Amino acid sequence: MNLNPLAIALQTALLLLLAPLVSGLIRNWKAKLQNRRGPRIWQPYSDLLKFLRKDMVIPEHASWVFGFAPYVVFLSALLAGLMIPMLTAQAPLSLFGGVLAVVGLLALGRFFLALGGLDAGSAFGGMGSSREMTISALAEPAMMLAIFTVAIGVGSTDLSRMVQAGQGPVWKLFNPTHAMAFVALFLVLLAETGRIPVDNPATHLELTMIHEAMLLEYSGRYLALMEWGASLKQLVLMTLLANVFLPVGIAPDTSPAALGVSALALAAKLLVLAAEVVLVETTNAKLRLFRVPDLLGVAFILATLALLSTFFFG
Amino acid sequence: MNGPTPAEISAQLITFCAAGMLVFQLLLIVQRMLLTNIRLFALQSFLLTSIAGIIAYFHNATHVYLVAALTLIGKVVFLPWLLDRQVRRIGISQEIEPLLNAPASMLLCGGLTLLSYIVARPFTALERLGNNTLGIAMSLVLTGFFLMFNRRKAITQVLALLTVENGVMLAAVALTTYGMPLVVELGIFFDVVVAVMVLGILVYRIRDSFASMDTSKLNQLKG
Repeated sequence: MNLNPLAIALQTALLLLLAPLVSGLIRNWKAKLQNRRGPRIWQPYSDLLKFLRKDMVIPEHASWVFGFAPYVVFLSALLAGLMIPMLTAQAPLSLFGGVLAVVGLLALGRFFLALGGLDAGSAFGGMGSSREMTISALAEPAMMLAIFTVAIGVGSTDLSRMVQAGQGPVWKLFNPTHAMAFVALFLVLLAETGRIPVDNPATHLELTMIHEAMLLEYSGRYLALMEWGASLKQLVLMTLLANVFLPVGIAPDTSPAALGVSALALAAKLLVLAAEVVLVETTNAKLRLFRVPDLLGVAFILATLALLSTFFFG
Repeated sequence: MNGPTPAEISAQLITFCAAGMLVFQLLLIVQRMLLTNIRLFALQSFLLTSIAGIIAYFHNATHVYLVAALTLIGKVVFLPWLLDRQVRRIGISQEIEPLLNAPASMLLCGGLTLLSYIVARPFTALERLGNNTLGIAMSLVLTGFFLMFNRRKAITQVLALLTVENGVMLAAVALTTYGMPLVVELGIFFDVVVAVMVLGILVYRIRDSFASMDTSKLNQLKG
């Protein structure tokens, strides 16, 4: 394993700066599509700055977990992001098992997010945590299977290897098994980032919220870390989806020209994905909580079929 | 690296579109909103059109363009529009509970798909286009039948029939390089269009005399 400090620093900066922008963009486009003016796209930056400056209110009965959770949520998402090839085909970090480590890190973050929700002892926090864990228990297998579909084709769970293998001729990208796995992973993306068919990111209506319920007791710096962590996770999943299934334009080396093309390609792919998310959010109604397993069941079956198809279409 | 032959590219693209059709079919099975169902069917038919277009382009089969155009006009534009209008006229867009719930029907359809993959496996050598398009076509037919008896509303049963027909078309495309003879395809095509129109009128009549589209109520006597 060779660590390149420059690459790590660059990707960290890119992740940290891009994540709020993507959230802001989705929020803005969603508003536009619903004939509202909507917040400016850099609103999340202002929010984060404001949260970072504010004092914190810590619940009386909270233990150390309450203060520890935001850091774990934030850092696990960041670390997962460093293991995904964003601009260069070689990810800055590649640890034990590649994509398995990414899924594991995201699970760790989610675990602490749920603990943080429970720790303050409010009823809503506990409710949000239990719902989050229910949904993630259903979403995670689908996510693993969808990524394994690509991994089997490449013969490695290392994300950098997957991306490099995908850099063949363009027509090779129209892989039938990937079509199913992509849809499955997109459904997982909606569930994991708390998008509308599953959770409503804009609601504070007590009966429906999932992610927001866990953050209710957080304020100030902790809230900033939680929010930033959530948008980082969203960016990580979107990049994973974009770069693993469509590794077009990713720089094979670190020449400035290749990096420029790669940055443009990444921006285009993220914009398209964000537009898809916005379309889904606007055209669908939120599902009843007990209908969410149906949606994730679809994702799971699709991912399973995709995985099986790799043997049948091979 | 030597460039891919057109045959390779077309095979890849065709299988890709076919897999997309299967994805839409599976989404149809769990989606309960009638209008969304119709749109999903239109998208599925659009993929079928693309497959026909790809075959016509890569194999220089001019008459397949005609098939593609007919599918585009008939199944992507006309039939969805017709069904859409009917749903709006009847004024219900929500499907009542299907017989089996979504996860169970998803599992069943996954099983059916697997079954058709296995059944189609020995015939892969017969296919000239696509790697396992026949498997997908068979799974479209099987899951289409499943969709037909899983839903109670007459209009979703019409939709299910149409997806079965999509599967048959795909099978025809997969097994014979240039599709079926044009006359046969034209015949099937107009058959389906007429069938849907007749069924549409029938659905309207059923609703008129039974005040419901639920076909499971048709066995009750009406004085």
